[in-house]
Amino acid sequence: MSKPSDLVQGTLDMLLLKFLALEPMNGFAVSQRLKQVSGDVLQVSDGSLYPALHKLEQEGWITAEWKTSEYGRRAKYYSLTRLGRRQLEKEADNWGRLSSAISRVIKLKEA
Amino acid sequence: MGPEHWLYTIPLRLRSLFRWAQADQELDDELRDHLERKTQEYVAQGMTQEEAHRRARLDLEGIEQTKEKCRDARRVNWIQDFMQDLRYGLRMLRKSPGFTAAAILTLALGIGANSAIFSMVNALVLRPLPVDTPNEVASLASQPHGFGSSNGFSYPDFEDIRDQTTSVFRDMTGMQPSHMDGFSMNDQSQPIWMSYVTTNFFQVIGISPALGTFFQPSDGRIDGSDPVLVLSYTFWKNHVGGDPNIVGRSASINGRSVTIIGVTPEGFGGVYSIMDTQGYLPVGMATATLDSPKDFLTNRRVGNIEILGRLKPGMKVGQAQPILAIVARRLSAQYPEIHKWDWLQAFPGGPLNAAPQDAAVIESMAAFFLLLVGLVLVLACMNVANLLLVRAAARQGEMAVRAAFGAGRGRLARQLLTESLLLAALGCGGGIVVGVAASRSVNSINFASAIPVVFNVTFDWRVLAYAVGAALLTGVLVGVTPAVRAARGNLNPLLHESSRTATGRRQRARSVLVVAELSGSMMLLIIAGLFVRSLQSVEHSDLGFDPDHVLNLTISPTDAGYDEPQASQFLKEFLQRARVLPGVESASLAATIPMGYYNYGDELKIEGYETPPGQQQPIAGYNAVSAEYFRSVRIPLIRGRDFLDSDDRTSQYVAVVNEEMARRYWPNQDPIGRHFTTRNDSTHPIQVIGIAKNSRTQHLTGSFRPFFYRPFAQHYLTPVTLQLRTALPEATAFHQAVDLIHSLAPAMPVFDVQTMTQALDTLNGLLLYKVGAALTASLGTLGLLLGLVGVYGVVSYAATQRTHEIGIRMALGAARSSVLKMILRQGLIVTATGVLVGALLAGAIGRLARDLLAGVSPMDPLTYACASGLLAAVSLLACYIPARRAMRVDPMVALRYE
Repeated sequence: MSKPSDLVQGTLDMLLLKFLALEPMNGFAVSQRLKQVSGDVLQVSDGSLYPALHKLEQEGWITAEWKTSEYGRRAKYYSLTRLGRRQLEKEADNWGRLSSAISRVIKLKEA
Repeated sequence: MGPEHWLYTIPLRLRSLFRWAQADQELDDELRDHLERKTQEYVAQGMTQEEAHRRARLDLEGIEQTKEKCRDARRVNWIQDFMQDLRYGLRMLRKSPGFTAAAILTLALGIGANSAIFSMVNALVLRPLPVDTPNEVASLASQPHGFGSSNGFSYPDFEDIRDQTTSVFRDMTGMQPSHMDGFSMNDQSQPIWMSYVTTNFFQVIGISPALGTFFQPSDGRIDGSDPVLVLSYTFWKNHVGGDPNIVGRSASINGRSVTIIGVTPEGFGGVYSIMDTQGYLPVGMATATLDSPKDFLTNRRVGNIEILGRLKPGMKVGQAQPILAIVARRLSAQYPEIHKWDWLQAFPGGPLNAAPQDAAVIESMAAFFLLLVGLVLVLACMNVANLLLVRAAARQGEMAVRAAFGAGRGRLARQLLTESLLLAALGCGGGIVVGVAASRSVNSINFASAIPVVFNVTFDWRVLAYAVGAALLTGVLVGVTPAVRAARGNLNPLLHESSRTATGRRQRARSVLVVAELSGSMMLLIIAGLFVRSLQSVEHSDLGFDPDHVLNLTISPTDAGYDEPQASQFLKEFLQRARVLPGVESASLAATIPMGYYNYGDELKIEGYETPPGQQQPIAGYNAVSAEYFRSVRIPLIRGRDFLDSDDRTSQYVAVVNEEMARRYWPNQDPIGRHFTTRNDSTHPIQVIGIAKNSRTQHLTGSFRPFFYRPFAQHYLTPVTLQLRTALPEATAFHQAVDLIHSLAPAMPVFDVQTMTQALDTLNGLLLYKVGAALTASLGTLGLLLGLVGVYGVVSYAATQRTHEIGIRMALGAARSSVLKMILRQGLIVTATGVLVGALLAGAIGRLARDLLAGVSPMDPLTYACASGLLAAVSLLACYIPARRAMRVDPMVALRYE
């Protein structure tokens, strides 16, 4: 499965979990939200998004439901499970530690 | 991962597995929904409908590819893929029934031959003893100084060894080697293959009775006491009617009454892998029912007790060796005039394993046949691999289409591998059918013996595992090349190849394949030829006697309750009456028959012969025979006289010696009138009265050994074989003889009724040569067939591939005959190379067979010549047929082709 090259390995999963933690939404909405929030910095193609969502579902972190959307059409809505919430906390922790460690390194003054 | 995880995921996986179509439909809906919305969005941004749709699709990076990736994200996918591949594979196989049948048949023959041979090896070498925790069981053997190693011990030695090794062995049991006795019950007598065992035998091997009980520790302490008999399950079931109330019934063994106390569990055939022990008596009974010396329980000089020990839990056989070495040294020091043991060792397994020379022969034979049959499998694999490669070339288009529809390279490879494994699985099924049929025919071998030889070749889990393993290996081997090609994914070379010109490299690869097939066939043919020639050689070898028109009837007067005087009276009467029967030329008695399962021998003290220092005492085999014996079997007497009816216990003890014995012990002297004594009976000097020509007694090959004949009336042995030389047809003569026996002694059981020629088909005689020749001949035929099919397949494919080239050649004016010559010349080169390489390799493996061959060198030129000629002819025929077809090609058709 190809991953977007400018995303650190595993962070796409975390981002998706975070979005779905805010509210249940369908695949299209997730792709829109990704673009809005990251201001086009994080380039996640639709071709990578759906396999990633399916993987999260398969892991049991998110669950899907077919609902009628606001446009009156049946769409697949993803929402976070309890397991997914725990996973998100774990990944967010990791991310926090990783990013603070990296920024500490970057801020080191040259002698 | 906790249970909660599974709570979520299991239903999902099950769904993707079983509601596959629905899940796929939902995936479809989801992506279509996405596409539509994305298009709407782009339209809203000002694009045209068409442009918006295109952009949305581009964003998805190919709908089919994304779908496939989503499917991949579901973990159970491999199962679905596998099911899909399987369905697809089956459809492909159904579509080309000719290919499928050829491949499955080839694999079935290869795998079947392998599992048949393996099941024999399994029966002989691998299958553990049918005892509790067989890896704790070991048997002992010693190496007396200057002799071959032996697994026979005297009873006192057995007790000493048992008592002095309790630190490693939990217990030890001693067994007299099995013996044919007579079993009588309800006035019916029949032979029974008996074992005389110490009373702890069943505890040591750890089995419990199906009926009744086994021996008590107190049984059999006093020789001749405790007449209690345990029967084997098969004997109880097949020979005494499976009476459930048999425990407590009385019967008799060799005329001595015994009480049946138990029956062994089903499937237990004793501790000898190929002989079914049918009954057990306490070892002390050996003096009462056998001719064992009365003092054998206390005499350290006699006895042939085999020792089976059970190691303490956790002990290894290796840990027993140092202790046994100490015991050997101690016993040798204690009884220096009796024991000079170089070593005393334990061998894992039953008593047969404690005969290291025999075990080594069996193992090397097993390895040799596995090698041969492995070669057959390799040939089969090459054939199928070649068929698959040809098909892979024809399926390039299909592969390209599948790749275009989003199938990954790995996925394509997996598809091809699944197909070849499917073929292998079907071949394996066929192979098991072939293997079961083949091992049935091995089981039906007649061992020409009343001894219950059970060559129990069955399909147990080991054989099944072997067959499945062979099939799996085959599937991978034959599937891997096309699969790797598909995975490498470079379809261009494939496409190029199938077009105008076959590249030189491909051509060479094909030639190598043909050479390999031919050399494999050549090796199998040569080995088959060597074994057939070896059989011919022993069949036509000079036996020193004439087996034609001689009938053998073996009886055991002891079993009918006759003591020696009664038996002598009966035998005398029988001979008198038999000699006047119509058609009978001569009638005689013999204690043993050549190549039979009994033989006798003794250590000799020869008047006037000094054993040179460092050499062993003279030992000679002997037979006890009646007057007219030499006439019945036509062994010529060179000098001296034949036995007379008057040579009995009251007259001088006499013997006729063979040439070898005369030469060895009375060199340059006249043996007639000289005397010798035997160790078993030193009180009666035996006078030599004649010299007989050397004849075969125990082995069909090798040098003659010293042997002598003594009058039956001076040396009574049982069982005894009545021999008639008769001009009547067998069946009539047998009938006549059996009637005569029963008119004199109605209850006398007759064991073996056979012609002397049949009697030679024993394990010592022709049987192994015949089995060897039959096995290698079948493998050779199989090899030739597979080679033929392989060469034909490769050459005809090559010819088809070159249709275009041939068309051009012919259009440019090449004559048909020169095209034929061109293809044939290539065939000839390849054939010659194959035959040569095969001959060289056969020279190498023929050496391994040297010990299995008789009267023929492993480099026998006639065999090599015949095999080369046959293979070359067959191979050229296989080349000629496709060559002729190529020659008939119409240049116009060939050029338009493609």
